[in-house]
Amino acid sequence: MRSGIFAGLLLATVSAAAAFAQGAPIKLANVAELSGGGATVGNNWKNGIDLAIEEINTKGGVLGRKLEVTHADSQSNPGVARAQVQKALDNEPYVLLGPGYSGSVKVTSPLAAEAGIAQIMGGEAAELTQGGNKFLFRTSFGQQSSMPKVAKYINDELKAKSVAIVWVNNDFGKGGRDVITKEFAKHNIKVAADISTEAGQADFAADVSKIKAASPDAVFIYLNEEESARMLKELKRQSISVPLMGETTLVGQKVVELAGDAANGARGHVGLTTDAPVDLVKAFREKFLKKYNYVPDHNGLKGYLAIYMIKATTEKMGKVDAKAFADNLHGLTIKAASEPGILMDVTFDEKGDIDRQGFLVEIVDGKQVVKQVLPKLN
Amino acid sequence: MTATGKYLRIALGIAVIAALIIVPMNFNRYGLYILSQWAVMTIAAMGLNLTLGYAGQVSLAQGAFVGIGAYAAAIMTTQGGMPLIAALGVAIVLCFAIGWILGYPALRVQHHYLAFVTLAFSTLAFLVFRNEDWLTKGIYGISNIPRPNVMGFATNRPLPFYYFCLGSLALVSLAMWWLIRSPWGRAFVALRENPVRALSLGIDTRRYTLMAFAIGSALGGVAGTLYAPLTQYIDPVPFNLSLSLDLLMMVIVGGSGFFFGPFLGAMIAVLLPEWLRFTQGYYLMLYAVAVMLLLIYSPTGILGILDRYLAERRTKAASALRAVAKSRLETAP
Repeated sequence: MRSGIFAGLLLATVSAAAAFAQGAPIKLANVAELSGGGATVGNNWKNGIDLAIEEINTKGGVLGRKLEVTHADSQSNPGVARAQVQKALDNEPYVLLGPGYSGSVKVTSPLAAEAGIAQIMGGEAAELTQGGNKFLFRTSFGQQSSMPKVAKYINDELKAKSVAIVWVNNDFGKGGRDVITKEFAKHNIKVAADISTEAGQADFAADVSKIKAASPDAVFIYLNEEESARMLKELKRQSISVPLMGETTLVGQKVVELAGDAANGARGHVGLTTDAPVDLVKAFREKFLKKYNYVPDHNGLKGYLAIYMIKATTEKMGKVDAKAFADNLHGLTIKAASEPGILMDVTFDEKGDIDRQGFLVEIVDGKQVVKQVLPKLN
Repeated sequence: MTATGKYLRIALGIAVIAALIIVPMNFNRYGLYILSQWAVMTIAAMGLNLTLGYAGQVSLAQGAFVGIGAYAAAIMTTQGGMPLIAALGVAIVLCFAIGWILGYPALRVQHHYLAFVTLAFSTLAFLVFRNEDWLTKGIYGISNIPRPNVMGFATNRPLPFYYFCLGSLALVSLAMWWLIRSPWGRAFVALRENPVRALSLGIDTRRYTLMAFAIGSALGGVAGTLYAPLTQYIDPVPFNLSLSLDLLMMVIVGGSGFFFGPFLGAMIAVLLPEWLRFTQGYYLMLYAVAVMLLLIYSPTGILGILDRYLAERRTKAASALRAVAKSRLETAP
């Protein structure tokens, strides 16, 4: 019996030593909305992360070391997010991933900055990167960079002079609404109706009646996926025929599935879409579909990209150095030609905001069709 | 109760308090955060325990009072630059007054009807937090809430802040202990057990109902003023109905109407999901199942089990004594 234990110990020591010789795994920590109101966001993000890590590890890891990630659930609650991020930081991860909700990012980013750990997150609120935090990085466009493109399109292409805005009253919707209202003012576009709705709202009949009464030249819809689909159905039912414009969510895969015919004709700006006319993105979509049996939304892409951001930055540094990570990612351009996992060329500025190409998409016959590619700025 | 029993209790109490002070010294920041959260939620649950457990009034608005306290603290310390103690005063007065007013429906409706009235208030409070941007910054929330200096000590670090929360919990517990043993406490219980009889004994049931609501709500406000500097960021979402339901669950699971009920209930609601996190995606399900099983086994909560056990032992002891007395009587010449 005793010899058995001894043998076991010996084996454990030997294998541990072997693992050490190859380099211990690089620890990453993810805190995301795995349950609660943001569960779709968080689970897509998590699956994207897992997919990327699996790929990288089967190819030998980063600088010969495997990646390892822990997932923690924030329950879509900022208070819980703070606890989980605290826990993650106590274990000294290489990089912190998440959360996806802007409120949860706001409450956790000071902690990561204090610990000197880079945080790659999914939040899109404009203000997140404007407080001078040197450790925070986006994976997608912030509203301050996507909304001007939407407003420009509505002005130049749709030639709308008055627009109804429908938004969901949470930090995502309110943030977008505030930015686009300012942009409309710059183009002298009148806000014909300013309609706030609730997350999880089922009936949009009254809201659509208000839009009808305002008779705008176009409608800008900024809701979460499920509500976007309900809204589109109601707009069709009350036969509103003016152009419908959105940003990312309105023309998402899930909306098309839920709204069916009613989604046809909806347009939107999308920073990341699985329907982008880019071969690498299409390949990603196939891999994701094969592993998880569903088509991811942009959050799946964001999680995936976050991991490849870590890989590219670490390989550029030539070492695993948590303290130097943020400095090295600032100002970095990652080319898809040299790092296919990044899918599209991307540049990170000093604030942690990104520059990448974007797309203007329209739903035709239940399919996302890219109408215009908005090139990368630099 | 025997003298040894009493000493045993005191010894146990001292041991628990000592453990709460000494053990967390080695905790990491996460552990301290969770324990601070436990202390804050216990205070809120104690308030609800007074309203529900002692005075028998169902309230689904306790989360809203935590929110009112949190917003009072956040607004006054960030925008006004005032000390937290001032915010505490405002929160207590505000929650007491609102709680008093909210108590009026309780004079007319009971049980689930009262629950609906308080539920409506809870929703109203959430809408005010969210829609009154000029005051609460709406959905963007208020960030960078400072932690207070207590008698010259900064509580920015997690450990001092935990002691600050623990100290507040101790003060609230002492006040509660005194309140329950005062004539007021007995009046609250009388109100719960038999309002008609209480009235006929000369208890002003109207005043005591309002009082139970107001004091319970004020404690919610106290918890809120601690919650804001704990998370250092607040937005309206955490103060929606689910917090009220959570607090209600803490009181019921711990043992409604027992002094230590909220302590245990908050421990289960805050710590159990954290312990179950190793099960990954299943932890919330397991937590729900555990709570359901507990309530099936003992509808009066954890302390209900203890109470039942003690009552049984007392009955057994009493019947043993009776048997002895009886046999003595029979054998007596």
